[in-house]
Amino acid sequence: MKKLLVVLMALALLSPVMAGAEDKAAGPKEFVVYLDKNAKDNHYIPSGWMGDYGDIKMNDQAAENPHTGTSSIQFVYSAKKSQTQGWAGVYWQNPANNWGNKKGGFDLTGMTKLTFWARGAKGGEVIQKVMVGGIKGTYPDSAMIEMGPIELTNTWKQYTVNLVGKDLSYLNGAFGWTITSDMNPDGATFYIDDIKFEADPDLKPEGKKAQGMPFYVYADRSSVVNHFIPSGWMGDYGDLKFESSSKEDPYLGDTCIKIAYSGKATQGARWAGIFWQNPANNWGSVDAGYDLSKATKLTFWARGAKGGERIEEFKVGGIMGEFSDSDSATIGPVLLNKEWTQYTIDLKGKDMSYIIGGFAWSANVDNNPDGATFYLDEIKFE
Amino acid sequence: MRSKIAGYRRFLLVACGFLPVFFLSACCTPKGVYIQKMKNRSYRLMVNGKPYIVKGVCYNPIPVGKNHEYDWWGDPNKPWIVDGKLMKEMGVNTVRIYQVNEDPQKVKQVIGDLYNLYGIRTLLGDWLGFWEYPCPFYGDKKFQEKVTQHVLEMVRLYKDEPGVLGWILGNENNYSCLGHVNPWSSPEVDKEPDPQKQKNIRAKIYYSFVNEISKQVHQIDSNHPVGLGNGELVGLDSAAKFCQDVDFVACIIYRGKTFGNLFKSLQMTFDKPLLLAEFGADCYDAYLKKEDQNMQAFFLQSQWSQIYENLAGNKKGAGNCLGGTIFEWTDEWWKHNSDYPEGWAQHDTQSSWSNGSYYYDIRAEGNKNMNEEWFGIVALSPQLEPATAPGAAESINKRIPRKAYYVIREFWKNPNYDARHKKKSSRGKK
Repeated sequence: MKKLLVVLMALALLSPVMAGAEDKAAGPKEFVVYLDKNAKDNHYIPSGWMGDYGDIKMNDQAAENPHTGTSSIQFVYSAKKSQTQGWAGVYWQNPANNWGNKKGGFDLTGMTKLTFWARGAKGGEVIQKVMVGGIKGTYPDSAMIEMGPIELTNTWKQYTVNLVGKDLSYLNGAFGWTITSDMNPDGATFYIDDIKFEADPDLKPEGKKAQGMPFYVYADRSSVVNHFIPSGWMGDYGDLKFESSSKEDPYLGDTCIKIAYSGKATQGARWAGIFWQNPANNWGSVDAGYDLSKATKLTFWARGAKGGERIEEFKVGGIMGEFSDSDSATIGPVLLNKEWTQYTIDLKGKDMSYIIGGFAWSANVDNNPDGATFYLDEIKFE
Repeated sequence: MRSKIAGYRRFLLVACGFLPVFFLSACCTPKGVYIQKMKNRSYRLMVNGKPYIVKGVCYNPIPVGKNHEYDWWGDPNKPWIVDGKLMKEMGVNTVRIYQVNEDPQKVKQVIGDLYNLYGIRTLLGDWLGFWEYPCPFYGDKKFQEKVTQHVLEMVRLYKDEPGVLGWILGNENNYSCLGHVNPWSSPEVDKEPDPQKQKNIRAKIYYSFVNEISKQVHQIDSNHPVGLGNGELVGLDSAAKFCQDVDFVACIIYRGKTFGNLFKSLQMTFDKPLLLAEFGADCYDAYLKKEDQNMQAFFLQSQWSQIYENLAGNKKGAGNCLGGTIFEWTDEWWKHNSDYPEGWAQHDTQSSWSNGSYYYDIRAEGNKNMNEEWFGIVALSPQLEPATAPGAAESINKRIPRKAYYVIREFWKNPNYDARHKKKSSRGKK
């Protein structure tokens, strides 16, 4: 009997220890990036300033109305294009200023989401995207996940980046954001707080969902509904001038796109064009296609500065790479009118389930010996 | 004894009763080659009453040091004998020839040898005047008549050869309607100021012309199907209106590791069976500047998996694929610069065009990663095989099968094999 009591007492004493050991074996439930200035749980440094870094001011102990604790991080973006880029951003890195050239980072295996709280000073500020991972280099991040654009309100709101199923074994660029002057022509002031990785066992992986229609490529310069970036300049790229905020008689809204093609064959190709891509400069090497399977057509409005400009092809899809577009559709050659005219690329029967190259045009010197200046507006899938 | 005789007579009577049945069934077994339309817009190729999957190669055995003008049909060393043996060992059952030689005796020799010795059938083609100088005048009646007669002569000469599988009209001629390659025009086209409508008029002219040839071929030969050679699916919306008399579409497709939406897209646009008449991958890594047989094998295996997924009876796919002919059997060392004879004996490693879907080497300079002289699944060596022709001093270039040859050979033996099981078991062995 005595022996039994001793054993029972020993078990009673040991069980909390064993439970604690089990908890430790289960792993941490969260991994903090930022809670408060100088919080001991903070990891990573907001050191990776990108693009027009001269346009950014940061205050990592902003006391005005933090979400929790005594401070949040305030960013002031001037949109002055100090480095002529038209965009800016900040990466949280470990160690500081690590662009993948040194070993650092953390193994965040087991985390299933990154959450953060954000608000705009006024409301309406647009963050182009937030990133988890994505830094390349000799020691590249094991994953890249993006989300956005996000239109902030003037009250704190939590945002979540789903990381289920992603390889988080090496994250140097834990968190980042980018902002553009197009989407914030007057600049933007915003606050971020309580950035952390969390292990939520109930969270399911984010499946690719079919985008709702209409799905805009371009509505207006600063429209939050814009998708794809006109980054894929092809052929004689030196012959091109591109304005996404032309106020010269837009078809709808405040602005339209103006493209001036000189036809001088600067790179010797004798043709030129632009592909709208997601993300920028993605020629099929990044898995980032939109599911546009609900689209039955792409429509856009176009006019020539003089009339008679010949565009050889307007196109949807067709980018081929490791992650190829699921299909493509084209119209052309098209002779533009001086008046705004709507054009349609029929997508019925096309597989639009995975599209990186949202829209493209191309023209050549032979059919435009004096070059061509033309305008585009209201480019959308519907 | 009487009972034995009676029994024998009874046997003969019964046997004679079955004879008409045997004769009837022999007569009714369909002969020749035809396409069978099945449920759900799926199709399969039938040869002498049996389903036939085209497991083929594009064949143009130009030796090192020669260009496309070389008359390999008349080569006394008969390269097709060596090639046919290797093909049979691989499992090849079809060769595609883009254009027949002008000498019928030579053509019959090649077709006959491949079929009689190795059971390999031949798809015979005609360029439809695509490479004529200055351009193919498809809008001109005299040009059309000349081309039509050339095709009909081919059909008359070879339709009774047991080794013939079918006819393919043209290759990527449809691109001429867009003005991209060998552009042509006609008075009807020139009257139209809108360039998009001009394109549509050219397509109408071209596809109507091919349709007319197809009808005339059918009148001469009802035992072989007629295919429309077409680059990608470009222009097939016009073919759907003007070219319904072809039996299948022979597409040229270079889309890398998968064909994407090709099969369903064809079903939607122009509901005809599809032969992948030209597809494949080169085996030169233009970025690392070295041969990469693994790269070629990877793309080819993936392409063949998709072909099989889209055969009739496979619920995974569209069911409209008849098989394919890989581009190509052997390397052609003249292709990078056909006008430079000294280059024909060099295995040129320069890339002439770019295709991002062959992404292994897309980071090559200028993104030019496609090496025209390196598409063979069998390499050629400057070293020669022993001479076979009596009295011949020279022979043919030694054939060296590449990895893709073996990978496809194994795939055809067991196309349902799941490669993941193989990986698991190899881990287990460690």
